[in-house]
Amino acid sequence: MHAAQILVNAVVLGCLYACIAIGFSLVWGVLNVINLIHGSFIVLGAYLAFGLYNSLHISPWYSVAVAAPLFFLLGYLLQRLLINRVITAPALVTLTLTFGLDLILNNAMIYFFKADYRKLTLTPSLGSVSIFDVVVPVDRLIATVSALVLTGLLYLLLRHSRVGRAIVAVRLDRDAAVLMGVNVKSIYAIAFGLGAALAGCAGVLMALIFPISPLTSSGYLGKAFVVCVLGGLGSVSGALAGGLLLALVEGIGSTFFGPAHATTLSFILLIIFLILRPQGLLGRKGFE
Amino acid sequence: MSKSWVARYVRLAVPLWAAVVAGGGLVSHASAEDVIRFGAPLPITGPLAPEAIKQQQGYDLWAEEANRSGGISVGGKKYKVEIVYVDYQSNTPRAVQATEQMITQGNVNFMFGAFGSGAAKAASTVSEKYKVPTLAATASSVQVYDQGYKYLFGTFTPNDTLTTPLTQIIKAKVPEVKKVAILARNDLFPLAIAQEMEKSAKANGFDLVYFEKYAIGTLDHSAALSQIKSLAPQWIFVTGYINDLLLVRKQMIDQEMKAPVVTMIAGPAYQEFIESGGPTAENITSASWWHPAARYEGKDIFGSTENFVKLFKAKYKSEPDYGQASAALCGALFQMAIEKAGSLDRDKVRDELAKLDVVTFFGPVRFGPNGQINSLDPPVFQIQGAKPVVLFPDAIKQGELKVGVN
Repeated sequence: MHAAQILVNAVVLGCLYACIAIGFSLVWGVLNVINLIHGSFIVLGAYLAFGLYNSLHISPWYSVAVAAPLFFLLGYLLQRLLINRVITAPALVTLTLTFGLDLILNNAMIYFFKADYRKLTLTPSLGSVSIFDVVVPVDRLIATVSALVLTGLLYLLLRHSRVGRAIVAVRLDRDAAVLMGVNVKSIYAIAFGLGAALAGCAGVLMALIFPISPLTSSGYLGKAFVVCVLGGLGSVSGALAGGLLLALVEGIGSTFFGPAHATTLSFILLIIFLILRPQGLLGRKGFE
Repeated sequence: MSKSWVARYVRLAVPLWAAVVAGGGLVSHASAEDVIRFGAPLPITGPLAPEAIKQQQGYDLWAEEANRSGGISVGGKKYKVEIVYVDYQSNTPRAVQATEQMITQGNVNFMFGAFGSGAAKAASTVSEKYKVPTLAATASSVQVYDQGYKYLFGTFTPNDTLTTPLTQIIKAKVPEVKKVAILARNDLFPLAIAQEMEKSAKANGFDLVYFEKYAIGTLDHSAALSQIKSLAPQWIFVTGYINDLLLVRKQMIDQEMKAPVVTMIAGPAYQEFIESGGPTAENITSASWWHPAARYEGKDIFGSTENFVKLFKAKYKSEPDYGQASAALCGALFQMAIEKAGSLDRDKVRDELAKLDVVTFFGPVRFGPNGQINSLDPPVFQIQGAKPVVLFPDAIKQGELKVGVN
């Protein structure tokens, strides 16, 4: 039963990791931008949920609907006004730009919200469900389902909508997409906006699970990075696969070698993937 | 082309030069006044920023109080207090550099230690070299004080003074507790506390069924907690900082873990833990070096614990915790030592610090031969009715231990 509990914990955690990473993967895959502001977007989303719940008693489930358009707009404008100006420059330039933007946003959050840790506690609490002695907390279960829904929606958007197909086209071959009449700058901004919206929604869901502070943003960013390398860049299902793999390694490693070694194991796995399968579990060669 | 570069250079250089000259003028003007400068290297940015803010609040409150009463009296003359802060960005080597810079270039008279045991130890090497008396507000590990240094003093008692009384209380009041599980953050202070707890538990005949460390920045504790749950310990002891402990507590609830006794160090000493934890914080036991519920009548500038708490609340609109109180105490102790020495001579002030034997708002203060305080009984407390209730020492006891954390 203990083994079943560890497995269930890992699957749920894997979906949370996927939720954290999916927007990051989209931006990296489509724009070839390592978006270092992603972790701070997640934290900002968590503060939004915290603020709406504590001041207006708006449940986090409704906050997702507020966060998605708000963060899309923020991401869209950021890309349109700033990142698009350096998008064709070497990767280091965009990396430095998003690093700088992250410093600004993170320090602004410390200034306005303070560095104190806060917690969104629902009253009454959602509790847990137990099946054959295997306990699953309801908030994590909801976040898991939401992660799957978001992943599914993004997949449908990319496959079956005009904008989605344009995003995929830009990702596959930027120059050919331009020749086909795709407005690449606009597509970049939409993709970045989608990435930001996904980060904001992830933040709202994470507010229910993790303590909230601007200092946690690097933790989210680190996980998103590892999940993307493991799962494959720009691949929607890759983020899910990478998240599950990472959580399984951490969960099983923690049980057998102690929790202190869980992070070390995940980074060993990352190095192995970088050497043997740089395109990740579900990524395609050429997009690593 | 070259002309435009020259023009740009002039446009930039002239205001910069003017700013430097104006700034220099200000500095020389300030140093001309009768001021005692205290250096405070703090991790104002980076992961330790919340702790630095707390320490800064303590120093600032003392400086404000000291200046409000006219300043520090040195041989009949009053000197204003000025605290010079340098941000070492949560990076210990930078704390060492900052300390050296403040002593050699910043003209500070005395130093406050860097945050925590690790950085305070590293930076103390520099202040010892220059023979600058240093008061460390947040260094508890004995290893900081066993270097044979003469100019370093600290206001936190050794780590075992937190765990030993707690173990004895649990042994006496809840005899059915036999099995103990310890989960520790793999970091200097939290791990040292966990190791002291391990010693203390074994010495008192408890059965230690689990002792594991978790990495700094761990986002999920479910695997470790599932393992602890399967071992059914009656006492779960977790160390870490507020974010770790809030997360562990949340995940304990998620996994429906219950135990007669749950102890967490060092989060519950902070008001944010009680506010953020809500009902889940109930009956959690903890220990810290000071508590606002203490009632000491002191001879320091704050006069009494009650008065210190009142002043702190008025300035910051929140309850002080042990970090803020210890920082304010360090300032108050310097003030007493300087006034007794009647001089700003570093050696004379150092000797007065070593001789101190005084009751303060923080409790009785006396330093051992190694410079670490040895006169305090750190309080053990439990969250009851969303408030911390002191269980030990008897002199400030407010209630009895409640068993059962659900």
